[in-house]
Amino acid sequence: MTATTADAGATAPASDERLAYRGLGSRMFVRPEIVGILAAIMIYMFFWGVTRPFGSAGGVATVLDISATLGIMAVAVGVLMIGGEFDLSSGANTGAMGIVIILLVKETGELGGAGLSYWIAIPLSLAIALGIGWLNGWMVEKTGQPSFIVTLATFFVLKGLKLAGSKIIVDQIQVGRADEGSHYGFWQKIFGSTWERQTHIWEARDGVYTALVIVGGVIVMLAVYEFVFRRAKTLNAAGLPILGAGLVGIGVGTVLFHSMDGSDWLAMAVVAVSALAATVGFGTWRFQRHTDRGALALTPSLIQPLGIGAAALVAGVIAAIGFDAADDSDIIPFVTVQGLRVILFMSLIAIAAGYVSIAIYRSRDVSVATKSAAIGLAGVVTFLMALFVQSESSSQKFRTELFGVLSILALILVVWAVASALFEVRRSEDVDADRLARRVATIGGALVMAGILVRLLFVIQAEIDAGNPSRLAVFSVRIVWFVAFATVMSYILRKTPFGSWVYAVGGNKEAARQIGVPAARTKTQLFMIVAGAAWLVGILLAFRLNTIQAGTGNGLEFEYIIAAVVGGTFLTGGYGTVLGAVIGALIMAMSRQGISFAGWNTDWRLVFLGSILLVAVVANAKVRKIAEAAR
Amino acid sequence: MTSLLSLDGIAKYYGNIIALEGVTTTVEAGEVTCVLGDNGAGKSTFIKILAGVHQHDAGDVSLEGDSVRFGSPRDALSAGIATVYQDLAMVPLMSVWRNFWLGAEPTKGRWPFKIIDEAKAKSIAKDELAKMGIDIRDVEQPVGTLSGGERQSVAIARAVYFGAKILILDEPTSALGVKQSGVVLKYIVAARDRGLGVIFITHNPHHAYPVGDRFMILNRGQSLGNFAKADLPRDELVQMMAGGAELDQLSHELEGG
Repeated sequence: MTATTADAGATAPASDERLAYRGLGSRMFVRPEIVGILAAIMIYMFFWGVTRPFGSAGGVATVLDISATLGIMAVAVGVLMIGGEFDLSSGANTGAMGIVIILLVKETGELGGAGLSYWIAIPLSLAIALGIGWLNGWMVEKTGQPSFIVTLATFFVLKGLKLAGSKIIVDQIQVGRADEGSHYGFWQKIFGSTWERQTHIWEARDGVYTALVIVGGVIVMLAVYEFVFRRAKTLNAAGLPILGAGLVGIGVGTVLFHSMDGSDWLAMAVVAVSALAATVGFGTWRFQRHTDRGALALTPSLIQPLGIGAAALVAGVIAAIGFDAADDSDIIPFVTVQGLRVILFMSLIAIAAGYVSIAIYRSRDVSVATKSAAIGLAGVVTFLMALFVQSESSSQKFRTELFGVLSILALILVVWAVASALFEVRRSEDVDADRLARRVATIGGALVMAGILVRLLFVIQAEIDAGNPSRLAVFSVRIVWFVAFATVMSYILRKTPFGSWVYAVGGNKEAARQIGVPAARTKTQLFMIVAGAAWLVGILLAFRLNTIQAGTGNGLEFEYIIAAVVGGTFLTGGYGTVLGAVIGALIMAMSRQGISFAGWNTDWRLVFLGSILLVAVVANAKVRKIAEAAR
Repeated sequence: MTSLLSLDGIAKYYGNIIALEGVTTTVEAGEVTCVLGDNGAGKSTFIKILAGVHQHDAGDVSLEGDSVRFGSPRDALSAGIATVYQDLAMVPLMSVWRNFWLGAEPTKGRWPFKIIDEAKAKSIAKDELAKMGIDIRDVEQPVGTLSGGERQSVAIARAVYFGAKILILDEPTSALGVKQSGVVLKYIVAARDRGLGVIFITHNPHHAYPVGDRFMILNRGQSLGNFAKADLPRDELVQMMAGGAELDQLSHELEGG
């Protein structure tokens, strides 16, 4: 064939002509946490739509706060489950560790404490936690019984010890006053400090936020092009000036932007045209142009999904217009008229989006021209939806935020349509391009995250003056602990030999042992990691609550397991990721907070959780089947 | 000249049960020694003694002239005796290259940044498999998606790479179809050509005869003899394996019944 493919073959020892090239989409689809990600997006959108504070800085702070302690445990328990074991004592252990640390620092004498400094108590309690974890692992290995039963025993022992122990020592079923220990102040900063948004004023916030998000977004987009399109044999420098002009134009448009409510028509037009120019320029510089685009054709395979999509869209719009947007009365139990309006509108639009995606997917087989046309059409319809939402919605949140998101989505679709009409999609592996694209995408993603972080952490005077209470947000340091713990665990699992062994002992313990993996040691270390996580959560609880109830943490072990399973971890071991457990924890935190924001009885949370678990398990199994066939 | 491995009058007793007695054979570098026997003939006991799972009760095992006795599978492995068991010791959900390296991952960097050297691990796995004539499409694919013959070949390549001098293959062809068995026989020859002494355990004389240089036939814990290929025509091997007189007896019974 061409020189490029020959080169790619030479530099890429891993590629093989018998392997069909898998596109970016299908590679993402086979990831274990894909169901969790989709569920998280849907749940976020649902509660964002039905409740006012959800999605505001305050709401995000609360959701992250809830997910932190849950997530630290979910990650540890998820990794243990990948290693093929359960730890039912993990929930009770969190409370036990909180009690232990408080007892270690309390004054001696009738207060019942050991009177140690936090400097001694913290490492000492960690040692106790690791000891409990080691004991769990040792018992599982020695008895050869299922860890489900062994740790169930540990759970009851811990539960009893917490109750009986606190009754004997402090004559109460709670152990209190973590703040009486010496050196409390220093450690409080590490485990209990908070960031109060309303006291951090930064007038340049919105400018920095917009710049970071747009620059990051553009970089991610360029990385996606690199992933998807085939490189030309020679670079064509003629594209560079156009790319440059496009980027400058995006910058100018960004500066022109003053609000996201759709009144900046000039700025929007400048950004849209510049984005198109940048795409064309970038593609001309690097990628192979299509020689034959094929004919535009509306085949029967496309008519059906397009038709259903259009019908759902129209039905959604009719539902939005048909119900009164301000009617607060119940139409059926628990659902107000305006609530039903939002639910109908959003679910019908989601259905429409699903069917249009199917049509776009199928149009790839018809012709390039048809595919571009389908994507472009989707973009135009998305923009019309944005305009509709903007003119029709009574909710300020919808008029600005949803309008903004839909407009950006529309722009991406239109630009994508143009790009896929002009340039050839890669059909073979290109390891160099993939590596480059991954790095660039990481940079772009980091910039977008930084932008969102700036927006979440800082406040501008105008917001304070407006006095909107939902803008009050307190971020606690436990979120940092959560992110750090998940990052470290993910690194260990993916990069180190120990991580490989975890998957091996979970996937086929006997094989792993025969081949020289220290299976017993690996499993024991996993139990110790879970206990260590329980220790961390126990300390975070002690510094937050100051007083720990004897029952704290009991029963939460199943929530950790649910979070891991929703995130794609196998109940039988050998499969799963840290990111999945993180997403599972976020889903659970979002549903808890969303239900309370919506003003429903919080007991509904459990019904919701059970349903999510069931749906996620079924969907995960299904996706895994497809994924295995796709490999 | 001393043999790579020689067994002299090996015996193993489980209480009053004689599992194996008077087994004598040799394994030379670059040769295939076939051990044939029906179910219950003592093949498993034979493997377990060589792999270090059990210890022999009588006789002598000598490796390159030195008398040895393996206390554990790890001992046998470090002495250069690698065993590919029937169940293959593979983790189906893990990728080919991770399975290849499992338990001995190449690392780079210092603790706590000591990580698996993925590029090196993948390219060596790919190369080693290629050297054995095994053409895996993608070392990233899970072992569970490979065919039985491919899995067997990965296990063999792994044993060869990790410095085995003697490769013990436990019934590698028993679960495979005709074509797949042929592929595995080719890998046995490839391992032999790389200078390994191969012990090929099977109950199928048609698989053993084309690759074997030496044949040892086990029956009810006893060796029926230890033959070089030149001294043993194929028909005779088949006849001995099938149990000769016993088979005549059986056909007589079945027809007479």
